[in-house]
Amino acid sequence: MSILFEAHHLCRSYGNITALNLPFFSMEKGETVALTGRNGSGKSTLLRLLAFLEKPTSGTLHYAGNMEDPRREITLLLQEPYLMKAPVFWNVTLGLRLRGAGMAEQRKGYIESMLAVGFSDPELMAGRGPGELSGGERQRIALASRLILSPSVLLLDEPTSNVDEASEKAILNVIRSLSARGVSIVCATHDRDIPPALGAREIAIVNAKP
Amino acid sequence: MGYFSDGMNKALDLLLHMDDATFSAIEATLTSTSCALIIAMILGLPLGFMLGYTTFPGKKFLRLVSDTLLAFPTVLIGLIVYVFITYRGPLGQFGLLFTLPGMVIGQCILALPIIVSWTAQAVENLDGRCRQTLLTLGASPVQVALHTIREIRYDLGMVCVTAFGRVVTEVGVAMMLGGNIRYSTRTMTTAISLETSKGEFAQGIALGIVLLLIAFLVNTLLAWFRRRGRS
Repeated sequence: MSILFEAHHLCRSYGNITALNLPFFSMEKGETVALTGRNGSGKSTLLRLLAFLEKPTSGTLHYAGNMEDPRREITLLLQEPYLMKAPVFWNVTLGLRLRGAGMAEQRKGYIESMLAVGFSDPELMAGRGPGELSGGERQRIALASRLILSPSVLLLDEPTSNVDEASEKAILNVIRSLSARGVSIVCATHDRDIPPALGAREIAIVNAKP
Repeated sequence: MGYFSDGMNKALDLLLHMDDATFSAIEATLTSTSCALIIAMILGLPLGFMLGYTTFPGKKFLRLVSDTLLAFPTVLIGLIVYVFITYRGPLGQFGLLFTLPGMVIGQCILALPIIVSWTAQAVENLDGRCRQTLLTLGASPVQVALHTIREIRYDLGMVCVTAFGRVVTEVGVAMMLGGNIRYSTRTMTTAISLETSKGEFAQGIALGIVLLLIAFLVNTLLAWFRRRGRS
């Protein structure tokens, strides 16, 4: 397998606060990696850097994919996902619309991704607003909105925190299935059971002060 | 209190019989207010969005100026515009003084800081995860901006309704720039003021009822926007 991400002396600061100070990080294409570490160790910061939402303050981050527009290949599921003030169908298909997909493609993608995250009746959910959803449903809908894009790299920030057991099971099944299909996955988690459950290589993030 | 009940009865009579002077004041009010609001929205919504969305040197100072103008007394706006459009003023040649367009200019200046400041506030208050979510879904910078506007649409509705409420109930600008001319620039508020000073309560009460109905409508709209925004 070939290297997907490689980072050296990666540092991200906000003013005087160093959020991440990582000497080395690398992962291969198709690999599943679990980032573990204490609160404030920089797991979420590393995910934002890998998602190219932010730039490192210093150090280098190499990505082997499409560097022209990496956000077309990489997508990040935030720890507390944000759903737009719109119905579920609109939220799930938003990424497809941003890419100019037609209604037929949106409908097909919606059904497939909603079934994949464990909603047995996607049509029933289509018109519901974000205020009518439970925490677990929001998390799974946000995950569906990423799956619909068929990303080659999926970054997940604590995807099973604040969800019920059924939602956790559904989310882990989706991650395992994506992993089996060769999608590269980075999952930040506090839960010690998650890395073995995903068959993931565990990387402990320690925010060593420079 | 007999005069009050008499006034109330006469007021209802004026409204039911579509009294010319009363309905002329209602028409002048709604015409000038609507025109002022439309112009203020065209200018203020993009300005407010830019002020809240972008970062540039002097942004904080501009926000401070815009916020300060929220407390601009209406008579002071009337005075400043008066100086410009009076027959000896720089815009005197256009004959705007004591006309509806003259009032529209003043009311537009009154509404503009509300629209600019509160639009900027709505953009700044939007959850930071919204932008991150759009970016992680592959949105371009233009798409992020457009979806940000979509996301604050109910807040923008509230901003416009609030500005309308402020303009429709003001007296200073309408009195100074409109001149309170019957069947022309007399608005509901200036008519209430004049009729009350004359001791004629009927028309004042009739117009007061209409103003209250408008206020009720405005607040109903505000509540709707607030509810939609939360859900």
